[in-house]
Amino acid sequence: MIPRELNSQRLETIGYDTCVTSCGNFLVLDQEVVDNRCTISGLRVVPLKEAFSVFPDMRERLYFNLIRRDMNELTALASREDPVGYYVYVEPGVKIEEPLQAAFLFGMTGTTQKIHNIIELGDGSELNIVNGCTTLNTGDSGTHLGITETYVGKDAHLGYTMLHNWGDTMEVYPVGAVQVAENGRYISNYVAMTSVKKIVSCPVAKVLSGGSARFYSIIYAREGSFFDTGSKVVLEGEGSSGEILSRVVSEGGTVISRQMLTGCVPKTRGHMECSGLLLNDHGVIHSIPEIRGEHPDISLSHEAAVGRISDEELSYLRMRGLTEEQSRSLIIRGFLDIKIEGLPDKVKNLVNDVIERSVSGTL
Amino acid sequence: MNVLQIQNLHVAVEGKEIIKGVDFELDQGKTAVMFGPNGSGKSTLLGAIAGLPGYEITRGSIWYKGRDLRSLSIDERARLGIGMSFQYPPAIKGVRLSTLLNVLSQDAQTMLTNAEDLNMSEYLDRDINVGFSGGERKRSEILQLMIQEPDLMLLDEPESGVDIENISIIAAALKTILEKDKPIKKRMRSAIIITHTGYILDYINADIAYVIMDGHLLGCGTPGEIFEEIRAHGYKQCCECFAEKYQNIQTGDI
Ligand SMILES: Nc1ncnc2c1ncn2[C@@H]1O[C@H](COP(=O)(O)OP(=O)(O)OP(=O)(O)O)[C@@H](O)[C@H]1O
Ligand SMILES: [Mg+2]
Repeated sequence: MIPRELNSQRLETIGYDTCVTSCGNFLVLDQEVVDNRCTISGLRVVPLKEAFSVFPDMRERLYFNLIRRDMNELTALASREDPVGYYVYVEPGVKIEEPLQAAFLFGMTGTTQKIHNIIELGDGSELNIVNGCTTLNTGDSGTHLGITETYVGKDAHLGYTMLHNWGDTMEVYPVGAVQVAENGRYISNYVAMTSVKKIVSCPVAKVLSGGSARFYSIIYAREGSFFDTGSKVVLEGEGSSGEILSRVVSEGGTVISRQMLTGCVPKTRGHMECSGLLLNDHGVIHSIPEIRGEHPDISLSHEAAVGRISDEELSYLRMRGLTEEQSRSLIIRGFLDIKIEGLPDKVKNLVNDVIERSVSGTL
Repeated sequence: MNVLQIQNLHVAVEGKEIIKGVDFELDQGKTAVMFGPNGSGKSTLLGAIAGLPGYEITRGSIWYKGRDLRSLSIDERARLGIGMSFQYPPAIKGVRLSTLLNVLSQDAQTMLTNAEDLNMSEYLDRDINVGFSGGERKRSEILQLMIQEPDLMLLDEPESGVDIENISIIAAALKTILEKDKPIKKRMRSAIIITHTGYILDYINADIAYVIMDGHLLGCGTPGEIFEEIRAHGYKQCCECFAEKYQNIQTGDI
């Protein structure tokens, strides 16, 4: 059960334990696991520190394996302490429909929250995770570090949705690395609709033969927010593919959107796209798409566009009687609507709900 | 009673005068049709009435139900009952047709029925006009008008690019909005229809027709009469003759 004193409204903003049924729950407040349930056989959701003793070789195999301890000051700091976070393991062949819900709450103003999560999907397994991050109270300030190492087995499928609802006093440094084995599929779906002081993040996925990695991100940067976010996909195996798609709205905030695709071997293909919408003249959207080919038999492409809401679309909707404000939010909402294939409806609806409420101003 | 009154209207687009002094009146319950060659200013005139951006009224005035439209924004005009179907409707990515229709009316059943009538049921879940064919876009326009139920409809080539079968479907929908089944005196809704082909007139009885040439409104007559003239003699000749013939007739007064 969720401890009663936790502000459930804050949890709702990141979709935690709302009406959506889940296969398991995991909730961390500051550096403490306060809710940990799992109802499905074949799925294990265990606090990482505990997992070290429950699964004898996992520490060796998976902990600080895709990410180096000395990658930066924060990872070094985290590596010196007992880890707080989850180890999620799905046994080979186990397919789970209900999403796993996890949330990370920050409430100790002035400190740094350090989270380390490890996800391992056995061959042929399937899982969806909805991760949410928020502060316990509006106005809590500090730093959040989130390390995530993800291992997608052969023919396995992971849908990983991340909802951020920080505040304009939080600095956030997610560090992510993903390894996708042969014919595995990884989908990341990142949504940040509310203010944040600063987020810097650029997860990397390495994809083996026949596998795919897709990163989608939806960012709404309000006045004063700073995002330096992106993703990298390295196509290491023949026939692997990657997609990076981001939709960025700036209402005065600054967003640097980095995207990089590397095709190392034959028959790799990938596409990336960054569309930005500037709602006023205080904001900045800086899109940096990079493509790197290391073999002639690859197909990589990118598209990027930054602009404002089209007058033509705006007047079209206003001609139907919608106010300017209504029309703008409908267009913005539409702009942010990435039709992602491969995520269960339940997760899509939850994400749409978060976006909807935030665009219509009720978050 | 007139629903629309335009006096000495001059409209400029990007600093260039396109409408060059138009006087026009439309009575409540009446349907007017406008002909004119490409580039003569038909869409510009409708755009100025609707209040679309880019159409600058440099002189003259437009009155709708006794209100000066110049001070009203595009959506204020729409909420007062002016509705438009666009010649080239834009596509709006990410916004489903049904989402827009739901904002316009809470009555889900009517929406479904209207969509069915217009053969648009399977387009409700698609993004507005995205990937719609020319004819589908026009049906989507009319569907939106059906939900919006405007008192004055500005129809910019509602049947261009539409196949014969669908023209009759569109026309039936327009007739419903225009209450053509009611006795003339009871009809409250009015329309201006721009057409090149005149096909729509086979289904909808327009009360009066005008020709626009180079930003001028050149006289009026019955729709059949004017259309025949244009067909027989082309715009240039026929308009010269109309200009003479109808010089002294008060617009809207036949
Ligand atoms: N944005 C614009 N910039 C420059 N010229 C414009 C613009 N919009 C319209 N015009 C010009 O104004 C004139 C009238 O255009 P309008 O669209 O009103 O013609 P129309 O009578 O509706 O023609 P059609 O039968 O081809 O639809 C044309 O010469 C057109 O090129
Ligand atoms: Mg036109």
